[in-house]
Amino acid sequence: MINIEIDGKKIATESGSTVIEAAHEAGIYIPHFCYHKKLSIAANCRMCLVEVEKAPKPLPACATPVAEGMKVHTNSAQAVKAQKGVMEFLLVNHPLDCPICDQGGECELQDLAVGYGASASRYQEEKRVVLPKDIGPLVSAEEMSRCINCTRCVRFGQEIGGQMELGQAFRGEHAEIMSFLGEQVDSELSGNMIDLCPVGALTSKPFRYTARSWELSRRRSVSPHDGMGSNLAVQVKDNRVMRVLPLENEEINECWLSDKDRFSYEALSAPERLTRPMVRQDGKWQEVSWQVALEYVANGLSQISGGAGAAHIGALATPHSTLEELYLLQKLLRGIGSSNVDFRLRQSDFSMDGKQAGVPWLGMPLAEINNADRFLLVGSFLRKDHPLLASRVRQAVKHGAQANVVHSADDDLLMHVANKAIVAPDAMVDLLAQILKALATEKQASVDAAVQGVSVGSEAAAIAASLAQGKNVAVLLGNFAQQHPQAAQLQLLAQQIATLAGGKFGFLGEAANSVGGYLAQAVPGAAGLNAGAMLAAPRKAYLLLNTEVELDCHDPQQAQAAMYAADMVVALSAYKHHASDYADVLLPIAPFTETSGTFINTEGRVQSFKGTVKPLGEARPAWKVLRVLGNLLKLPGFDYDDSESVRDEALGGVAVAGKLNNGLSGITLQLPSAASSGLQRVSDVPIYAADAVVRRAASLQATHDAAVPRAVMHGEELKKLNLPPGSEVKLSQGAGSVRLNVAADDRLPLGVVRVAAGHAATAQLGAMFGTIVVEATSGSGA
Amino acid sequence: MKKIVSFFKSFLLLELLKGMSVTGRYFFAPHITVQYPDEKTPQGFRFRGLHAQRRYENGEERCIGCKLCEAVCPALAIHIEVAEREDGTRRTTRYDIDLMKCIFCGFCEESCPVDAIVETRIYEYHGEKRGDLYYTKPMLLAVGDKYEEQIAKDRAADAKYR
Ligand code: SF4
Ligand code: SF4
Ligand code: SF4
Ligand code: FES
Repeated sequence: MINIEIDGKKIATESGSTVIEAAHEAGIYIPHFCYHKKLSIAANCRMCLVEVEKAPKPLPACATPVAEGMKVHTNSAQAVKAQKGVMEFLLVNHPLDCPICDQGGECELQDLAVGYGASASRYQEEKRVVLPKDIGPLVSAEEMSRCINCTRCVRFGQEIGGQMELGQAFRGEHAEIMSFLGEQVDSELSGNMIDLCPVGALTSKPFRYTARSWELSRRRSVSPHDGMGSNLAVQVKDNRVMRVLPLENEEINECWLSDKDRFSYEALSAPERLTRPMVRQDGKWQEVSWQVALEYVANGLSQISGGAGAAHIGALATPHSTLEELYLLQKLLRGIGSSNVDFRLRQSDFSMDGKQAGVPWLGMPLAEINNADRFLLVGSFLRKDHPLLASRVRQAVKHGAQANVVHSADDDLLMHVANKAIVAPDAMVDLLAQILKALATEKQASVDAAVQGVSVGSEAAAIAASLAQGKNVAVLLGNFAQQHPQAAQLQLLAQQIATLAGGKFGFLGEAANSVGGYLAQAVPGAAGLNAGAMLAAPRKAYLLLNTEVELDCHDPQQAQAAMYAADMVVALSAYKHHASDYADVLLPIAPFTETSGTFINTEGRVQSFKGTVKPLGEARPAWKVLRVLGNLLKLPGFDYDDSESVRDEALGGVAVAGKLNNGLSGITLQLPSAASSGLQRVSDVPIYAADAVVRRAASLQATHDAAVPRAVMHGEELKKLNLPPGSEVKLSQGAGSVRLNVAADDRLPLGVVRVAAGHAATAQLGAMFGTIVVEATSGSGA
Repeated sequence: MKKIVSFFKSFLLLELLKGMSVTGRYFFAPHITVQYPDEKTPQGFRFRGLHAQRRYENGEERCIGCKLCEAVCPALAIHIEVAEREDGTRRTTRYDIDLMKCIFCGFCEESCPVDAIVETRIYEYHGEKRGDLYYTKPMLLAVGDKYEEQIAKDRAADAKYR
């Protein structure tokens, strides 16, 4: 501890901290621009100059470490004179166009200019002009003359985003912030640069000119997208969400937000919103009242359960639904006597059902990821599936942790990867077995007999060596591994690896309620059919909650066939979608901003939120719709007054932490015998295709990440098939086929084709894994 | 003594003469009553009457949709919606002033960074039904176009005090 004095206030602070940190901790404000608590120190704006006794001249508070007995004055004549001088220089080249600037009203420069600026400028000469730049659909850099060259945006890219999307070119007065060779700035975290920019140089493009900061009311919410449950400040005007900003929560999203969380709000007022209940009569869609629609559904359900039997009714929900919705959906189904309810739509291996010790979760608090020193990331498109979690891993790697990757694709994680093994999906189990065996040898421990037979390759040995040295090992199973047809085996092996390494094992939750779905009991249990079985053996009636089967299910072909064959399909959806082809009733429900609810994130944190705006048109919160449906079906226990009572009933008054457990018992390790023949499919779910909301967010859909998927193969495979890159091919799985352009990526393993799932262009294909046939089309050069 | 004074006063009609003298004085003094509508009071260049939206000489509207006038208006009489025009500039898509709410304080004019919203010398306007005094952007621009000469002259006269 070091004792210093700031403005006469005695402060004890940790050695190594800077004057500005000590002052802010003590509640003394020092004006600053380039300093940011999460970024490195650049000390280039000089706004934070303070007087330090015995120093010959003012010192920058952000770059001056505290020293014992230091006496600092932030308000003395010398300090204020220095600060005013700096402000005058900053304003020399600033266009002062606050009236048309979107930052106006929430601008750090504007605020500080009120305190430190002169009322008129002494500068009469010509101002510097920096030409506008088009850096993509998310961030606007139209007025770069406003830039004060604080380099926060540049440092964000280097330090947090992992990729220097913006850089500073030229020197002195000609210094300019620009992207590389006209590239777009649309990585999954780029929106944070808008928040960081202290002036209006980088602003939000979708928000551009639509509202002023003082007109907006801020409401708390929780992101429905990935498993983090990032905290949101939803800003609302005239009952419409105008933009979304991060709400600081050090334990979850810190002060960041992924672009998906930030810009998906555009979809909330998309023209595809479903605003009135609709019923299909004689093949034509008719808008009806809620009363008519719900009675129709209730009658239909009772007819089927009275006739064919309740077991012929199934319900599919996405893990993006709230806890309350999932709970009431399963309660409704179980009330009419069916347990066919599931939310794990993209999962294909359900062999662990009934053998889990508890609810699968991250296995550790999110914040602990930063402390891990060895990672084993199994089957995860980490950057795109969990952008902010990836940034935590990146921070850990920056501080010396080693990342080891086992996957079927080698996308750039924007961090140093110590060891990686990129293998075809059907070789993943074997590879984990190799790692386990190698690790057992390193640790001189005994190991499951099933893995004795494998021969350890060099990649596995290197990964095992890295893990063996770790003191704080984290083994994490990504979305790809959870969707893998041998997910249970992967889990078993990964768990044993974690145990041997003395580390933690966890799942990276795919969506906002991947943990919550289990807690809501939206799983079939022993009595019902899971998501896969429900579609493999078609039911007579389906209830779809937020689900677009052709995009959200593991096997869209099978799912669509089941829908077309069903007697009744009821789609509860916020959007008009493909369901209008096969459904009989469309019920408009409210997306997350228009309903109250709860998401339980991947670390098991229960976060409830209130609606931020009124539901659009006649849309209603899904929990209310399900409650009324329960009443119409005369089921007991459907008299809730608010979503809180649903939540309390769902959680049963027991702490969630006690129910989280990744344990698995009663599954034996079985290594696959022979590799399958033919090309195997590797599917990612592109970041902006993952759920119903982002699919309709216009600006996100204009980014690179939302481009039409291509069939990507290793160059050798292309050569073997005699296909030039860029040519069109026909991909077929089962009865369906699609035409896509091929591309070469030599980082992929041999024998695989990477084809995205969750996209309309590939919705006619089959399962996300398995064999796939690639043929040249007549038009291509083969 | 008092009695004697009041006796003389009562029959010499002194009080009456006093009163009549006031009347007489005003009768011949210069008249200041303005015979509206035949006559009109003189106005200063800061007169705050009907609002107008101005244009630049090249016909471009001045308003840039900064919403400062909307924010400052104490009567909440102004309603603005803004969007990006095709040429990339910030423009209002809606600019309404409800003159039934307006208290003619002039704050909007004072807050405007580009002298777009101004209050003119016009006070003779009326509405025949509810809603007639709800002025929209085209109406305000029309007022500005019609009286631009006078508006510009008034701003010029005021410039040296600003
Ligand atoms: S664009 Fe903004 S954040 Fe980047 S250097 Fe300029 S002022 Fe700083
Ligand atoms: S004159 Fe005053 S009350 Fe009237 S619109 Fe302007 S600011 Fe509002
Ligand atoms: S009239 Fe003036 S103050 Fe009002 S929005 Fe337009 S430019 Fe801004
Ligand atoms: S904040 Fe210290 S120099 Fe910029």
